[in-house]
Amino acid sequence: MRKCRLVFIFTVFLLSAPAFTHDIITTPVTWNREISRIFYSRCIACHREGGMAFSLLDYREAFPWRTAIKEEILERRMPPWGAVKGFGDFRNDQALTPEQLELVTSWSQGGSPEGEAKDLPSKDKLEEMMKESAWYGNAAHAGRQSGEIIAKGDFKLTNSFVLDGLFPRNVPQSGSFQIIAEFPDGRIEPLLWLEGYKEQFAHVFLLQTPLELPAGTMITGIPAGSSIALLPAPKD
Amino acid sequence: MRAALLSLILALVAGQTPAPLPSQNAGDVYICPMDPDVRSNNPGKCARCGMALVAGLPDPVEYHLDLSISPRPIKPGQPASLLFAVHDPWKNRPVTNFQVVHEKLFHMFVVSQDLEVFLHNHPTLGSDGLFHYDYVFPKAGMYRVLGDFYPDGATPQLIAKTVIVPGQAPKPATLARDYSAKDAENLTVELVTEPQQPISGAKTQMIFRVKPADGLEKYLGAWGHMLVASADLIDMIHEHPFIADGGPQIQFNVIFPRAKNYRVWVQFQRKGVVNTAHFDVPVKELGNYIARLPPQPN
Ligand code: HEC
Repeated sequence: MRKCRLVFIFTVFLLSAPAFTHDIITTPVTWNREISRIFYSRCIACHREGGMAFSLLDYREAFPWRTAIKEEILERRMPPWGAVKGFGDFRNDQALTPEQLELVTSWSQGGSPEGEAKDLPSKDKLEEMMKESAWYGNAAHAGRQSGEIIAKGDFKLTNSFVLDGLFPRNVPQSGSFQIIAEFPDGRIEPLLWLEGYKEQFAHVFLLQTPLELPAGTMITGIPAGSSIALLPAPKD
Repeated sequence: MRAALLSLILALVAGQTPAPLPSQNAGDVYICPMDPDVRSNNPGKCARCGMALVAGLPDPVEYHLDLSISPRPIKPGQPASLLFAVHDPWKNRPVTNFQVVHEKLFHMFVVSQDLEVFLHNHPTLGSDGLFHYDYVFPKAGMYRVLGDFYPDGATPQLIAKTVIVPGQAPKPATLARDYSAKDAENLTVELVTEPQQPISGAKTQMIFRVKPADGLEKYLGAWGHMLVASADLIDMIHEHPFIADGGPQIQFNVIFPRAKNYRVWVQFQRKGVVNTAHFDVPVKELGNYIARLPPQPN
């Protein structure tokens, strides 16, 4: 009798266990706790129904992609921010932090568990996180403004300029290059290190704090054929 | 016993580790602030680094780290003063409360573009709420500066900055496999990796053996520290040992993100002396690597 019951429970268990949890779970990181929060803020502005790519909103939708997800984020192809973290400082930065990379990798490697329903962020929180994304709505292009200067080649500023953002144009597909500002006094500031930037995901890079560039500053590192729009800080 | 075994099998079939014993505070998790993969349902200490586990789960957000250097322009070989300011990501207000991590409030790594310069040191918190450090950049070129700190009530932060010292930049590093034993200050370090050929995106065990091993001591609260940097300085990873007990063998686990060449620095302390050694590890893509294996007889 007891054995019977166990077999019954066993069968029910198997039937109710979703097909995709057959991997051995070796990670404490779960979708409901950590991964959903990262994806809501960094992926689903594009990866949702009606968005530009397949949905990664639900656990069930994301699970089949778990290996591809790990590869894409470790190669920094996704999210398609296209610049190296820590070379310039951007208030709309969408690149994953080292901690986020580690969490997603651990989740992907460790059987990709769903976790407990109570840990999933609320719908309000989801909306709030998604709207913060640089790609939500038209935000990615919101930087085109009057007063922008187009820099090409080694470019010298004739007047002083308060730089608020950068918008790359015509960047070669596999392009990796560093743009720097050389001040007249000899100091050098890193501006932007593009790596795997794709026109398909074109977006502005908005500085954390506007940078004052004196007249005579050289902007260097832009490859032939490409240009960078220098966006001015709004005057007040 | 049978029931326990069966539930274990059930759990394995269902793809889960056996359910933890019911505890008073089910639902709470305790996480090691330094090693986010070390967690427990009960309060306690991290088995790996000994730090107290913390309850709950703050959103993984990024703080702002500003680095200002004076005097400008920076001159190679001349003293420069580095100032780090931390601001919160919500209100951009200065953050002045930090947790001690491995005995320090702030760990700083400096690596030069040619990978010749490696520094692991600790800026000190001044009464102005900023972290101060005096440094002489030895040569011109690009440096990556990594700040590792833990604002109270947040998540640990690992934030890279870039410093460019004007002048003729050194040639970027070209790395080839170098697993050879290294003589450091007062010990020799050997490296074995498992798998022998590390694969991007998969776990690599980095097993270091030190000789002599008597008198090994913890350095900043851990049996070792490791910094991993890709030759292009895009990936920078700070790790602590996965398995170490004060004996001659110290194991780190690392996932190399990309199929690139990496330089790996390790630091071990013996008899009060900090030893630093580095190794170069080419990492391959799974596909490429299989293509190179000799055909299997069938
Ligand atoms: C700016 C929009 C955007 C964002 C943000 C974004 N993606 Fe994507 N992603 C795309 C598009 C579009 C594709 C389809 C790629 C193509 O058309 O080649 C894609 C493809 C992918 C693929 C499949 C790659 C393949 O072909 O194997 C994965 C996996 C993926 N994304 C994961 C992510 C993850 C994880 C995040 C967040 C961390 C993310 N993406 C953020 C737009 C985005």
